[in-house]
Amino acid sequence: MSREIAPEAGAGEFPLTDEDIYAAMKEIPGYLDITPGSFRELYRLAYRLARQRLFQEVTAARIMTREVVSVRPDTPVAEVAEAMGRAGVSGVPVVEADGRVVGVISERDFLRQMGSGEANFMSLVAACLRARGCVALPLTKKAAAELMSAPAVTVNPETTVREVAEVLAAHRINRVPVVDGGGRLVGIVSRGDLLKALQGGVSP
Amino acid sequence: MIRAYLGKMRGTSISPPRVDALEILFSGLGGFLGLGLVAFLEAQFFQESDLLLLIAPFGASAVLLYGAVKSPLAQPRNLVGGHLLSAAVGVTALKLLSPHPALAVAVAVSVSIMLMHATRTLHPPGGATALVAILGGPKVQNLGYLFVLMPVAAGVLLLLLVALLFNNLIPRRRYPEFWW
Repeated sequence: MSREIAPEAGAGEFPLTDEDIYAAMKEIPGYLDITPGSFRELYRLAYRLARQRLFQEVTAARIMTREVVSVRPDTPVAEVAEAMGRAGVSGVPVVEADGRVVGVISERDFLRQMGSGEANFMSLVAACLRARGCVALPLTKKAAAELMSAPAVTVNPETTVREVAEVLAAHRINRVPVVDGGGRLVGIVSRGDLLKALQGGVSP
Repeated sequence: MIRAYLGKMRGTSISPPRVDALEILFSGLGGFLGLGLVAFLEAQFFQESDLLLLIAPFGASAVLLYGAVKSPLAQPRNLVGGHLLSAAVGVTALKLLSPHPALAVAVAVSVSIMLMHATRTLHPPGGATALVAILGGPKVQNLGYLFVLMPVAAGVLLLLLVALLFNNLIPRRRYPEFWW
């Protein structure tokens, strides 16, 4: 009775044991015409199919965050940083007054402007240690439009989760704005949103 | 290779849990009512006749209908289809192979299993029904294909009726899971 999860079970599948199934079966009154082992087998295959379907069918619209923190092209960089800090996000879309996405500002854009080459946190620390005063000072006069990565990489609400994952990987970015046919912002999909969907937080 | 072969005989899982006391009681009560009805009618109306109503495979069907209500094997499609097909197969096997009873038995059960599988009507008691058609003695043999209707179809429908009425009276039970 102490059988462990089948070794072929992949990451993301629950470590469902025969004991779990046995206990669940006891909660259903009436005789269930299946062994815990057969059920586990069935569950494993069904779960794999469900995950495949999730990747093939679920769209960005289904998993995106709809309330997006965004900035305007003329928003001063200091305000952009404040907005990102307040919202606890590592990137924001830059959006025109009509909602069209023109770029994205991420932590990496800040790092690139502040550091001495490599756009990562440790090179920023290095720059800080070498400089006197704040390495962010050169940015004070700038606006979002000067710092952002443009044109923005975007996806549509109908883009599948699988394609979103490919876009994130191909561009080495951590989030992608979701825009409608007119290029207007309707949401954003982050790596976190993808992970949540993968964990089964979303059904088609 | 032998090790792997023998290893398969060790089993890989555990037995399903015992049902609770109420479930045991309901299963027993259902079986009592189902077989009770068929046996009563048999005794009342068929004792002196050349016809039959009660055959042993109904005991096996009762295990499923009243004891494993949710099982796919216990659903109406399987109950009715499995018994009728197997009964017809049994009668046919007897007619074609009566000089070789052992062969008739083997063929009848084997063809019944295949036919039930192919028609998604697998119902284990059907295999027994096919056997009864061959081993049931002169009374059964004289029935010919009537055996399929009486006792088999008639008895099966009575068991089904009791299963519908009885199982659905019990709050925790519902029957069937599917009809067809």
